[in-house]
Amino acid sequence: MFRRILLLGFLTTAACEIGLADPPRITAVLTSSEVVVGETVQLEIQIDNTRASAITPRAIDVPGLQIHYTGESTQMTMRNLSVSSSITYSYTILPEKSGTFKIPSQTIRVGKDNLQTPELTLRVGDSPRATAGGRGNRTPSGSAPAGSGQNADEKIAFAELLVPKKSAYVGEIIPVVLRIGFKSRTQLRELAVPQINGQGYTVQKLSEGEKNLETIDGQSYVVFTYKTAISAARPGDFQIGPVEEKANVLVTRRSPGVRRRPFDPFNGEDPFSDPFFSMPFAGLMEQHEINIKSDPVPLEVKPLPAGAPASFSGAIGSFTMTAEANPKRVQVGDPITIKAAIAGRGNFDRMNAPELSDERGWHKYPPSSNFKQDDDVGISGTKSFELVVSPNEKLATIPPLVFSYFDPAKDRYITLQSDAMPITVEGNAQSAPSVAGAATGAAAASNLAGTQKPQDILHQISEPGNIVDTFAPLYARPGFWLAQLFPLTLVLGLLGWKVRNVRASNRAALRAARLQHEKDELLRKLRRNRLAPRDYFSDASRVVQLKTALKENNIEPATVDAETAARVFSLDPEQSERMRRLFAKSDELRYSGGGSGDGALTSNGRREALELIESLS
Amino acid sequence: MKVPAIFPGAAWRAFLFGLLVLSPAVNAATNDDLFAKANTEFNAGNFKAAITDYGAVVQSGEWSANLFYNLGNAYFRDSDFGRAILNYERALQLDRNHPEADANLRIARDQTHALELAPTPLEKYLNFAGAKSFAILAAILFWGTIILLILRRRKVLWMTIGLLLTASCGLAAYKLESGTRGQDVAIVVEGNVEARVATADSAKSVLALPPGSEVVILQERGDWSYAALPNDLRGWISTKAVEKVRL
Repeated sequence: MFRRILLLGFLTTAACEIGLADPPRITAVLTSSEVVVGETVQLEIQIDNTRASAITPRAIDVPGLQIHYTGESTQMTMRNLSVSSSITYSYTILPEKSGTFKIPSQTIRVGKDNLQTPELTLRVGDSPRATAGGRGNRTPSGSAPAGSGQNADEKIAFAELLVPKKSAYVGEIIPVVLRIGFKSRTQLRELAVPQINGQGYTVQKLSEGEKNLETIDGQSYVVFTYKTAISAARPGDFQIGPVEEKANVLVTRRSPGVRRRPFDPFNGEDPFSDPFFSMPFAGLMEQHEINIKSDPVPLEVKPLPAGAPASFSGAIGSFTMTAEANPKRVQVGDPITIKAAIAGRGNFDRMNAPELSDERGWHKYPPSSNFKQDDDVGISGTKSFELVVSPNEKLATIPPLVFSYFDPAKDRYITLQSDAMPITVEGNAQSAPSVAGAATGAAAASNLAGTQKPQDILHQISEPGNIVDTFAPLYARPGFWLAQLFPLTLVLGLLGWKVRNVRASNRAALRAARLQHEKDELLRKLRRNRLAPRDYFSDASRVVQLKTALKENNIEPATVDAETAARVFSLDPEQSERMRRLFAKSDELRYSGGGSGDGALTSNGRREALELIESLS
Repeated sequence: MKVPAIFPGAAWRAFLFGLLVLSPAVNAATNDDLFAKANTEFNAGNFKAAITDYGAVVQSGEWSANLFYNLGNAYFRDSDFGRAILNYERALQLDRNHPEADANLRIARDQTHALELAPTPLEKYLNFAGAKSFAILAAILFWGTIILLILRRRKVLWMTIGLLLTASCGLAAYKLESGTRGQDVAIVVEGNVEARVATADSAKSVLALPPGSEVVILQERGDWSYAALPNDLRGWISTKAVEKVRL
């Protein structure tokens, strides 16, 4: 039974989760918005809150860019029985020429929904190799070990810094990629986490190294790629790097007599030329520590242009903003939470919350924020803010939120503004400013927005008042339970009285039963007509006494005489006389000593006596 | 224990008797003097001295609604609005019909824009009486039902109704005591207080709490307290930043 209930609950929860699931949401980001010719960049289209696969284009046609689909990955997360999934579709972009390219919005069909990706901009610079005649700042390193048979030009490792921009603004986030490669024939034993050092800028923590096998200039390399971002702290000309790194590698030991053949189809990489095949037991590898160093990359940092809007707080990049407020119906002074989300690419760490475009009539509380990054280094993502505001008066809308940033691609400041949010505010204004009626326009507005004169508090009280010694609730105080003794005593008294009454009632009933029983016995004897006169009159008078006592509960039978019986039964004079004679005869026969009184009682006398007794009721 | 010779015989007993009988009276006289002195200092504008003297009376354990009301006024004049609100709340806890404390509490809240806990629907419904009234009513109904049972047997219907009403009143008293005006209500007395999702200053902020804001302490763990916050939120706040209304 319990299992059924559990299963039912789970199914209900799952059904609710499915029914109430958020609609699918799509985002598209470039791993770098700036790149040089010959370098690749990734386009990642991520669809959240979906379990259905999407129909995506295999290739995206943009003149000057080669964009190819490279794969997809799925992520599922379960939190508090809420399952959310996201699918990421990856494309590799290889620029063919320099310039600024727009990757158009793509329509992706997910289940029954058609989702649109945002338009993305990719700036492609000239390849440094085109001018430097090589791979930019890539520096071959690691001299061939002595006796290895390799010549000095044959390097076994390299390091390079890839910086998409040569000039930036103060505070702008610049993505940097550090690549360290080792010839595939070497075996890497130890490589410390590299660091990028320099003056005038801050460097974010490097991402985990990504290991790939690449062919560069016809040579096969194992390349470790680290991503990070830097942010210039002041204007000036700086150098990024160089990055210096030490690594321990195992290098193939070659025989000095082995020379490259004039026609080598494997270009020296012939696996069968390995010494293992000529000297299998002579030792194959030897360990060497090599220094790897990249070239520094120059960076020109410019100050931000003048004319920043008032709401600019240092955000640089490209952003969009959404906002919503809840609850929509409040009382004056009640808090309203405005949730604002700023998404895009830039320096989220310097981003402050958007502000109300008009704060008159509102009280603000410090906002809280949360950042969800979409990449490894936190350049792109969504920063969510929660602003709590409370209206000081009746208002119909929450003013639009404003947020300003500097767009380095457009070289100008941009101010985003949300829509005004309609609300209903009930109740009276918290403190009615007396100047509101007299002042007009801007004067009144400034009075409202500025500091209001505090209303004065009421006077001191000179008497201390009733003294108490506890804040404890009444039912937790001993006095309360002690006071219950009074009704408890009353109840116990009532209970005792009730028991006594019951017992008394029982006694009376027992006495009546006993008297009734005796009376019945005597009447039976009297009716049998066998008794001697003395016994007969004695029993007859006793029956009268018992009947009188049964009628009057408070009379003892032995105390009843003829007068008492006549009074209790309201006998007429004739019956009263007969009653007296009955009692007199009984006393006479009982106390005169005249024997049993045989012959003194006729049958008429018996009958009359019996009739008198039975007439008593 | 041997009685010192300085208090022989009857003198010792007289001293003990005097200590027993006269001590509370002497204490009360001292507190009255302190209360009057604090009022004088308040009127002279020496608000800090007034706070000290009112505080000394509070420390003695002889409390009154007027004492906390005056102390709240002293804190208000000293621009410590968080503690002013705390003491107005204490005055209202001792006397829920204290109009001066109620009025000044509103003014102090306006000054700081303190956040208030929204009462639950049940609390709103039961607001016509306090927990004390419900406790007394429960006791009366209980004993009345018992007496009815003794005097008039076989009145099952009336007895059931009486016991149900008793239980309802007891439950109402309990709900009021554990609600937003109950024994775990605390007031934020420090500035720049933020409730956080975890017991660390670096943890994400849940809600900024201006001085005088109401919270209900649910659990205390070292320097942090887990509290129910206005707007139906929960979070951890520094224990030293809040003070419970009930002493």
